[in-house]
Amino acid sequence: MCLQSRMTFNHFHRNDALAAFLEIKGLGKSFGGIHAVRQLDLSIDRGEILGIAGPNGSGKSTFFNIMTKVPFAADRGEVLLEGKNILTRKAHDIARSGVARTFQRESVFPSLSAVDNVLTTVENSSAGGTHRDNVAAAILALDQAGFPATLHNTPAGALPVFLRKLVMIAAALALKPRVLLLDEPASSLTPHEIARIQALILKLKEADMTILLIEHVLPLLTAVSDRLAVLDQGELIAIGTPEAVIAEPRVVEAYLGKKQ
Amino acid sequence: MELSAFIAVLTGGLVLGVLYSLMAFGLALVWTTLGIFNFAHGAFIVLGAYIAWQIGNPDAFGLGFLVSAVVTVIAMFVIGVIFQFLLVKPFERKPNIVLLTVITTLAGATVLINLINVMWGPRSKQIVLPASGDLSLGLFRITANEGLMVLIVTLTLATLGWFLLKTPLGRSMRAVAQNREAAQLMGLNVPLLYAATFGLAAALAGLAGVFIGSIRFMTPNMGDDPLQKALVVVILGGVARFTSPIYAAFLVGIIEAFSTYAVGLYWTPAVLFVLMIAVLVVKPEGLFGRRERSV
Repeated sequence: MCLQSRMTFNHFHRNDALAAFLEIKGLGKSFGGIHAVRQLDLSIDRGEILGIAGPNGSGKSTFFNIMTKVPFAADRGEVLLEGKNILTRKAHDIARSGVARTFQRESVFPSLSAVDNVLTTVENSSAGGTHRDNVAAAILALDQAGFPATLHNTPAGALPVFLRKLVMIAAALALKPRVLLLDEPASSLTPHEIARIQALILKLKEADMTILLIEHVLPLLTAVSDRLAVLDQGELIAIGTPEAVIAEPRVVEAYLGKKQ
Repeated sequence: MELSAFIAVLTGGLVLGVLYSLMAFGLALVWTTLGIFNFAHGAFIVLGAYIAWQIGNPDAFGLGFLVSAVVTVIAMFVIGVIFQFLLVKPFERKPNIVLLTVITTLAGATVLINLINVMWGPRSKQIVLPASGDLSLGLFRITANEGLMVLIVTLTLATLGWFLLKTPLGRSMRAVAQNREAAQLMGLNVPLLYAATFGLAAALAGLAGVFIGSIRFMTPNMGDDPLQKALVVVILGGVARFTSPIYAAFLVGIIEAFSTYAVGLYWTPAVLFVLMIAVLVVKPEGLFGRRERSV
């Protein structure tokens, strides 16, 4: 039913030619002769979870890289967030304007404690206030991510993989993002931990967070995504409901190769 | 070796350690944060000494030691920021940044030293420190000026420790040093933090220059020795924590003092470099370091 109403909502949006919440237009990046991302066009609604799949090297992470300008910017194209092109800003301003991203690898500040990791984000975001408020905001973000309160003061480098991922997600949430880009949050996790990541994503969805999710763990991807996009060799080859996309011959071919 | 001589040499080594920790701290800060080795650090120390002499000495502006030290620190911060903007920032995203900045900072150092030569001439000068007399604690005896240096350096390093651990800007600087890309994603203004780090390192070098210019006679070329000592300290101690170079500075100071006593001033640099090479072979991450660089 939820999906139904969302589809109607999409329908309404596009028919009235209103700008989508997040619109990606002609986005591209090449390295020499290799087109990592070609002419990508996507439009995402507020509160939507767009799953992004594709074989290794299909340009998924490059797509996130050029959206955030970390570590490199796009060659061409625009990313419009509520009608404004964010790619004209500097990398840290893109983050502060509400586009938060997590890395595939657990990218934390290893010698800073878990709470200091998140605190650094709060202090540098536009919402920074007094020290007491900032610490409270950092703890709130850690709680939202489901990070255990007993480990707040442990150096992030000493935490296990799963908890480091939670620190990274908490830091992203502390930016109070309008769009959250999650790059393989379930990679190198156990099934139990993947279930917790899934629950976390669904909780964020309930709070109306707009999420772009790159993931190789297909059950997780299909369970949380409203729509699924598949990239192959830097091109969008399919987009639609997860069930329909997975059944598409071009998608099967991209993953498994052509039938002889 | 008699006890009194031993204590005297040890005291000399500890005082040197204090000075070396100030010299090495800035070098280590730039290395951990920007990932480059600043070969102009010695030139910064010299420039700091000359600025302090110009402001403070009775033969020049004559505004006194305290004013000269404060002006030097502020001026060197600004000079450091400009230096980073012109000679380091343009190469930041290049894959061979380490080699490129070795060349650009060496070039910058040469320009600075020649400017100092042009402005102040090659004749040696000395900064006059305000205190006089001796201080003693049991068998330990130092001059009041050495005592002043120990006090100011200790306060400076303690303040820096507090700044890096407890303040938002310090935390951000450590974060950038540990993970540049994550820092950008978390909204940290990396170019600004790099500039601030470089400026801070230059300011510390300038303060070290103030003390060196008071202990020794100043010449425009006196920066090579401090640069070498700072290099030995940073390599010996590693940079795993911001306290690592401080421990190493005391170790180097004490070894230098005893080596000077035993084999003389002439052979002491050789002793230090042999020690440094030995550490590079046996424990390349430094005596007080882990393998990765962080703050």
